[in-house]
Amino acid sequence: MTLSTKPLSLTVNGHAVGPIAVPEGLMMLDFLHEYLNLTGSRMGCGQGICHACVVVVADEDGSLREMPTCITGAHWFNGKQVQTIEGHASYDGDGNLVGLSPVQQAFIEHFAFQCGYCTPGFVNGATVLIDQLKRKPVPRAELESTIVAALDKHICRCTGYVRYLEAVRDLVLKTPGLVIG
Amino acid sequence: MTRLRALGWMALAVMAGAGIVALLPHVLGTTVVGDDVERPLGENEMQRLAQAGGYVARVADCYACHTVKGGGAWAGGMPFKTPLGTIYSTNISPDKQFGIGTWTRAEFHRAVRDGIGRNGRPLYPAMPYTSYRKMTPEDVDGLYAYFMTRQPVAVENRRNGLPFPFNIREFVAVWNFLNLGHGGFKEDPSRSPVWNRGRYIVDAVAHCGECHTPRNSLMAMETDKYLKGAVIEGLEAPDITKEGLTRMGFDPQSLVRFMKTGLSAQGAAANQMLEVVHFSTQYMRDEDLGAMAAYLFDLDEMPDLASPPPAPAPVPVPAAIASSAQTTYANLCAGCHGPRGRGIPGVVVPLATNASLRLASPRNLIHAVLHGIPAQSFPGRERMQPMPGFADVLDDQAVADLANWLRARWGGQKPAVTAADVAKQRPGAVQTE
Repeated sequence: MTLSTKPLSLTVNGHAVGPIAVPEGLMMLDFLHEYLNLTGSRMGCGQGICHACVVVVADEDGSLREMPTCITGAHWFNGKQVQTIEGHASYDGDGNLVGLSPVQQAFIEHFAFQCGYCTPGFVNGATVLIDQLKRKPVPRAELESTIVAALDKHICRCTGYVRYLEAVRDLVLKTPGLVIG
Repeated sequence: MTRLRALGWMALAVMAGAGIVALLPHVLGTTVVGDDVERPLGENEMQRLAQAGGYVARVADCYACHTVKGGGAWAGGMPFKTPLGTIYSTNISPDKQFGIGTWTRAEFHRAVRDGIGRNGRPLYPAMPYTSYRKMTPEDVDGLYAYFMTRQPVAVENRRNGLPFPFNIREFVAVWNFLNLGHGGFKEDPSRSPVWNRGRYIVDAVAHCGECHTPRNSLMAMETDKYLKGAVIEGLEAPDITKEGLTRMGFDPQSLVRFMKTGLSAQGAAANQMLEVVHFSTQYMRDEDLGAMAAYLFDLDEMPDLASPPPAPAPVPVPAAIASSAQTTYANLCAGCHGPRGRGIPGVVVPLATNASLRLASPRNLIHAVLHGIPAQSFPGRERMQPMPGFADVLDDQAVADLANWLRARWGGQKPAVTAADVAKQRPGAVQTE
């Protein structure tokens, strides 16, 4: 059986990738792991349910969305800006860590992970939520339900939800302009 | 003085009008209920009938409509959004204040089979008395005995949200006069007991036609399009005639399996049909499911062997549509449904044999692509994973291309879906049907 390939070009964590011949129907998770050696996105359920594998995608207007990579073909991301868990922290020219993203920092401060397998998905999900709140702040009274609605689809089998939610709530409240009132 | 007289005449006219309206049910009403039900049932009879009545209640799917999610069993409150307004199902638990605890046997019979409530006022035909009219008195007695032995639940009935003039119940009597059949169920002596039993369940107790038969402008079932399929709350309740079922890929055996489990090669029961499986058909006796299948396939007995109809021949589609759709399928569908549409047993339904692709209407397929399908539980602890909706990922043309390609490839349907068809089914779009 021959694999039919198509050229794929996209931007991953700020770096242009491709054009590169990629088999049609190859899932994005496999592309990230096998072609780019970005193994931080996790294979969980393989059915688009647990959200361990989600990455952040920028729409044309710059707004961010989550996209599962275990059930989404790599070619769906053609031409798109993608951020994986490896793209959140800042590094200097020598590859040394310079700083964590605000979401990562909040998770560290709240020890918001246990085994950590689902954490990349939660970091990406929380990053999308912060972006949405920057564009459309919510009243203080709706913050709790907004966080739950945004992260509810992320599954943590260690059941570490409380600290994940506390970390995100703390970050939202500390970041000016995300909450009204 | 003149004004006073005019007011007096107006008041008189209103009273006369109200009187005429109140008399409508009595003038126009026809009953199939015999006088013998005036005799109350004895305690022993009630106990004996209650057991059989539990089964009848399941076949009739009473629970699905008379129990709101999270509410007390049989306490009503389920909203039905009809084109005329919202109607709420009523409390049929034996509560003496809000339920049917003080109803007599005769009053219950008249409600179920004539559509006339205890106070003599008509019920709204959201209650399928048009079908239950064909139920045997024995089965209605069974229902009565069964409900009277349930736990009373003191929940007040909700006020219907029907605007004037639909809030005047008496006018339903006119509708009944025009649309209600006058007779009960009659067996066809030229057909087998199996066929007749199937027809009795399909037409009377299980009231399949209420959803699967199209309705005319008066909201009455169109008898010349019996079981030919209809749109209910934006989704297609498909054609379940022999032709329709065959077109979807069913044979009698697979139809029985679908009704028993909610799952088959033709896909998984969804939306209202999933509730029917959940509350009703999974509990039905195999011989009754077989009788239904035999009747729907117009057979006098269930065949011994399965005889699935051949898959429809693929229909060619323009290259531009195929190219767009193949890319979408590989990117967004194949991860779960597989590149060849075989699905994952017990997890994801197959598309290559899916009934939704073979229906004349693309409505259900478009709905699933745009809105997704929530996780579903089936009898026997089977589950299907949720399907994500792609309304915010695919534009109208991409969905139309995908639908056309899928239907042509695996459903044998000509590519006729347009972007405008998709737009009508987007979240928030105004439903015109």
